[in-house]
Amino acid sequence: MSTKPTRRSVLKGAAALGTTALAAPYVHAQEMVTLRLAGTGVNAYNEIAEKAMEDLGVMVEYTTLTSDDVVRRAVTQPTSFDLLDTEYWMLKKIIPTGNILGMDTTRIKYFDQIVPIFTKGELPDGTKIADQGTAPYEVSFLEKQGGEDFATETTQFMTAIPTVYNADTLGIRPDLINRPIESWAELLNPEFAGKASILNIPSIGIMDAAMVAESMGEVTYADKGNMTREEIDKTIALMIEAKKAGQFRAFWKDFNESVNLMASGEVVIQSMWSPAVTAVKSQGIPCVYQPLKEGYRAWAAGLTLPTHVSGRTLDAAYEFIDWYLSGWVGAFLNRQGYYTAVLSTAEEYMSPAEWSYWMEGGAATEPMLSPTGDVLAQPGDTRDGGSYWERMGGVACWNAVMDEDRYMVRKWNEFIAA
Amino acid sequence: MVMTATDLPSTEAAAAKPRRSPVGNAYAYLQALPMALIFGVFFLIPIALVVVVSFFDYQSFDILIPDFVTFNYTDVFSSEVTYRTYLQTLTFCLIVWAITLVLGFTIAHFLAFYITSLPLQIVCFLICTIPFWTSNVIRMVSWIPFLGRNGLVNQGLMGAGITDEPIEWLLYSEFAVILGYVHLYTLFMIVPIFNSMIRIDKSLIEAAKDQGATSWQILKNVVIPLSKPGIAIGSVFVLAIVMGDFITVTVLGGGQIASVAKTIQTELSYLQFPPAAANAVVLLGVSILMIFALLRIVDIRKEL
Amino acid sequence: MAKLPYRGLMIAIFIAFVLFLYTPIFTIIILSFQGPDGGLTFPMRGVSLHWFAELFGPQSIGDVWGAFYRSLSLGGLVMVFTVVLSLMAGLAYRRGFLGSTALLYVAIASLIMPSVVVSLGIGAGFELAGVQRHWSTSGLGAHLTWTLPFGLLIIFAVFNRFDPAFEEAARDQGATGWQTIRYVVLPIIAPSLIGIALFGFTLSYDELARSSQAIGAVNTLPIELQAMQTNATTPIIYALGTLTTGLSFLVIGITVGAAMLIRRQQQRQGSDAGKGV
Repeated sequence: MSTKPTRRSVLKGAAALGTTALAAPYVHAQEMVTLRLAGTGVNAYNEIAEKAMEDLGVMVEYTTLTSDDVVRRAVTQPTSFDLLDTEYWMLKKIIPTGNILGMDTTRIKYFDQIVPIFTKGELPDGTKIADQGTAPYEVSFLEKQGGEDFATETTQFMTAIPTVYNADTLGIRPDLINRPIESWAELLNPEFAGKASILNIPSIGIMDAAMVAESMGEVTYADKGNMTREEIDKTIALMIEAKKAGQFRAFWKDFNESVNLMASGEVVIQSMWSPAVTAVKSQGIPCVYQPLKEGYRAWAAGLTLPTHVSGRTLDAAYEFIDWYLSGWVGAFLNRQGYYTAVLSTAEEYMSPAEWSYWMEGGAATEPMLSPTGDVLAQPGDTRDGGSYWERMGGVACWNAVMDEDRYMVRKWNEFIAA
Repeated sequence: MVMTATDLPSTEAAAAKPRRSPVGNAYAYLQALPMALIFGVFFLIPIALVVVVSFFDYQSFDILIPDFVTFNYTDVFSSEVTYRTYLQTLTFCLIVWAITLVLGFTIAHFLAFYITSLPLQIVCFLICTIPFWTSNVIRMVSWIPFLGRNGLVNQGLMGAGITDEPIEWLLYSEFAVILGYVHLYTLFMIVPIFNSMIRIDKSLIEAAKDQGATSWQILKNVVIPLSKPGIAIGSVFVLAIVMGDFITVTVLGGGQIASVAKTIQTELSYLQFPPAAANAVVLLGVSILMIFALLRIVDIRKEL
Repeated sequence: MAKLPYRGLMIAIFIAFVLFLYTPIFTIIILSFQGPDGGLTFPMRGVSLHWFAELFGPQSIGDVWGAFYRSLSLGGLVMVFTVVLSLMAGLAYRRGFLGSTALLYVAIASLIMPSVVVSLGIGAGFELAGVQRHWSTSGLGAHLTWTLPFGLLIIFAVFNRFDPAFEEAARDQGATGWQTIRYVVLPIIAPSLIGIALFGFTLSYDELARSSQAIGAVNTLPIELQAMQTNATTPIIYALGTLTTGLSFLVIGITVGAAMLIRRQQQRQGSDAGKGV
């Protein structure tokens, strides 16, 4: 395995030249199928592609892009990929274009074992999960295959197979703050003037802003994920006031920017993603993914099939999805700090110590390794926020596309220009 | 007496060039065709799509509704944010243009007149180009450890006892954005000015000197007038790129400073194609007008 | 020529400018020697060659080397197209043709139009036409809409006040149009063409936004690097920067050294080769 990249590029080159009939002892020896998988770098691990080749004889060719470029390709160039890894809230915009084929759930082996967050809107123990914003189950099913309308209940056609999801909160530098942080309201606390940051992705940034505004008692929302114009006005006014007062050091957009802002000490409190906090910690810099009393803002991503996929590629796509849910990938992605769709199969591929640390909130009994083998936690450490149930159960709202999104984006641009 | 460039014999000869005609000959069309084709296929057709889309309707969950509506444009012009954003972008343009012009002219002058060996000139240009072979994505990341709170500059300043506290405005400020622009775009000024300067007949300068002109007078009456096309071309580059930039302004402005292209980018990331298209068309119109005015002052094709 | 004024000052300004250009590179070089636990920002956590080793080992996210070769190839193609097409257009402008003003303004428009918009237009256009995108087709076109305006305008500066007497003299002596260009025009403007080539390559090699939707399934280096920012990114990107800079200097150093050596030998042998025709 020491020559991975070389082998990969050789294979790619071979495929590009059309010489796909490589002599290899694969089950599908007739002709190798290439699946072009477009998505962000969040899940695009070469290890997954190699394992897929090993187990399935399917070549996964990643098109790794920023999330903006992913959704733009999804709506304007659906034939440029065979599988698309995208976020659930964007499905609200992507599905009506008619570019996405609903997946036939009868062809998906582990469909019944997908966590009910996606199929019923509840946690595995049956408690309802928050539905403010674009909750995944609201956009999980289609009336008919290739349809452009979401079904209100479970149907045979699923829009996306969840890859990863998580509950987001504020990341803090405990060494530079030196006191407990318990509420989203702290983001706008003048104590952190010039040392706070939020996401510069309007739809997510405004949700964070809403969490803050609500906890400050400035605004009450009927649904933070679907604000009225008046609610948007009030939220943006609050943010403009904070911006003018110099509350924010910078707004971040890429995962890596959030890591750099935090690690360099430019920012001491900001909304973050779980592996970003881990990345800061692994540089030996204290960073806590702080659970807050108002709860988490959650998101999910999933694999979708564009309508043009057919024949052997379609079969390979279904096979790949079954394989994706069969445990190895689930375990791999769980170790990153995100959660996977089918918990039972992932558990089989994780050691009891890993399962306890990542999923049950237990203290690590051995060093915890990342998917790529870096040490993420030492014995005795516990995961910030605790167990899966505590974290996903504490979700207050989901990333969303609002009905008033034209108005919201206009106001957001006003906020940036203020 | 000091000569001005317009009195000089060689320019008269150039102006009286016989071969240039408004209609040209078949060769000219053949020579211009490949470039015209590239722009036709890869720019005009896509931009035609953009113009069409700018008149489409859109809703939150129906991103393109074929129609003929003008509200995407009226929205642009009726919003106070538009004017504020343009003012911000134009301010950047003006400041960056002034700095890159002075700096670029000075360095082009140095490379054209002070360095007389061609290989050495090429080496100088290569040295100036090498930093750009490290991807901008990487360079942009590296501004934090350079200008940030704990960056090299602040460490240096504090180490030297010049300040006690880190200077915050070095990064994520208008200063940082301007610094970034100057860093990226001065070379775009140097190259055309340099190319104009090496066409200046050295004997003109000698002649002026023989007549007792001071260095300043030579610069003002010979070098600058004869470098005008290069200056104009460099200005077109800098104005055009700064007007359309969103990467530098986002990264070095910390996402807190608006620019026209950034507005477009935000709309696009939300799949709001029609308003983004309208905004792009307006931006194109405004910038073309600016450059049209500039090229009215200096005709870059006069002495081809 | 008589001594130029403020020589020292001018040299100082130039050196200061070069140092300014290299500021991010210095940071990149220092941080590329981060210890294995270090990140993309200060503080340094040890000093090591770890990230250089990692750069050559397998990566988890992204395909740096594949993207690097694609960027080099695309940059080379774009360079050739930019030089040739700009030179041809420049000659056409010297002759004059109907539509020359329109072409100029189209080129300028191409420079102004935000690259994301152009890219989206090209990508969507190819999709509508049912043509697959690839870096060597739609990608090449997208890059040319970015480099050609620069090439064209710089060629204007190059041909500015270019004395037609040279060409006329050649023609009087019976040279054909091609011979005039090949033996008279090209040698005079060759250094400027090298400049345009350098510009074309660099602009293409570093192009990001215009490629993003037009490049097809596999990425160029800047897009790949940017996509890598959507996951935990390590100082291997700095190691790549350090390596690129180091190699560039090495190549240029060798070239300059070889050129000087050849020249010295020629002078010793009294050869007049290489002085042009």
